[in-house]
Amino acid sequence: MAKLRIVFENGAPEQVIEFDPAKAPFHHDGRPGSILDVMLGHKLHLEHACGGNCACTTCHVIVKQGANKLSEATEQENDMLDKAPGLTATSRLGCQAVVEDPEAEITVLIPRFTINVVSEAAEE
Amino acid sequence: MTEATPAEPGGRPTIRARIERVLDHNDDTRSLFLAPLGDGRVRFVPGQFISILIPLAEEIRTRPYTIASSPEEAGPIEICFNRVSGGRGVAWLFERQRGDVLAFTGPFGTFTLERAPAAEAVFIAEGTAIAPIRPMIRRAIASSGRAMITLLYAAKSERHLLFRAEFEELARRDLRFKFDTIVAPAQTLYGRMLEAAEQRWVKADDDRSRVFYVCGIGPGVIAIRNLLRGAGYERRAVHYEQW
Repeated sequence: MAKLRIVFENGAPEQVIEFDPAKAPFHHDGRPGSILDVMLGHKLHLEHACGGNCACTTCHVIVKQGANKLSEATEQENDMLDKAPGLTATSRLGCQAVVEDPEAEITVLIPRFTINVVSEAAEE
Repeated sequence: MTEATPAEPGGRPTIRARIERVLDHNDDTRSLFLAPLGDGRVRFVPGQFISILIPLAEEIRTRPYTIASSPEEAGPIEICFNRVSGGRGVAWLFERQRGDVLAFTGPFGTFTLERAPAAEAVFIAEGTAIAPIRPMIRRAIASSGRAMITLLYAAKSERHLLFRAEFEELARRDLRFKFDTIVAPAQTLYGRMLEAAEQRWVKADDDRSRVFYVCGIGPGVIAIRNLLRGAGYERRAVHYEQW
């Protein structure tokens, strides 16, 4: 099982998702198996104003661990990231970065300016 | 103040707007004119989109729709869309009627134009992807010096060339603006656009100072981007949005 650890810069409680990448897609937005897809499929909200189509930067995440276990960024993703506030060397778009390795251990930081909350569905 | 409520999963304020007008461009393409409740206006930059909250049975889904009107217009904002096979969001929008209220967040997006570039600006669009380009062109014409502004607009039929009369009128009024169209079957459309781009802006001369704004659907957009960048245009001079 792959493990995705999500750290929120705004101080929200850390979340850990264990999942089988082979079972992607988990939701309907973003590339199947992407960080966005995994989070939404496990009732964790990550903003994606464009619907997960690589047309905005609202799903910007900073990869703290396991960057080499993610799909390589395309030119389109990098073009978009150029416009992301708070860009870092390990920034990715959650809708595009796909967890491919079934044994991957990924840690991502959700920047403070990317507004994220646990979805209402998860709180019920 | 525009009526805004803190709502949806992302925590961003949600704007509620009433549908003031419904305009059918053709059998499968429609514009909605949205007037925010309250007395405010939506502040946006040409090229940006809003994310409309689509209330489906199992969830609220957000889907982006580009603003096809200009920030300078005092009236409601216009969004433009066409039917998509299996597209639940757009199916919901097609069911909406004048007077209905919907909610959205935004505006969002970085495929924008705040003022005309100093060099020639070339806009390339297909079908409803003219939506962000339309306000960009208006802004470019309003803010340009002597540089030329060109629009190459492609569609699968004459009736899918949206806002055609408006662009033709702009071209008549302003000699800096050149408007050309391509009409071809959907399966060959992007091939024709690519061919036209190569003939006009790659093979015709050695000028690589132009600035491009390309908007469309699918891999054809990326092919045009690759053509232009590969021909020597600066990476940051080739702006594009692929849906």
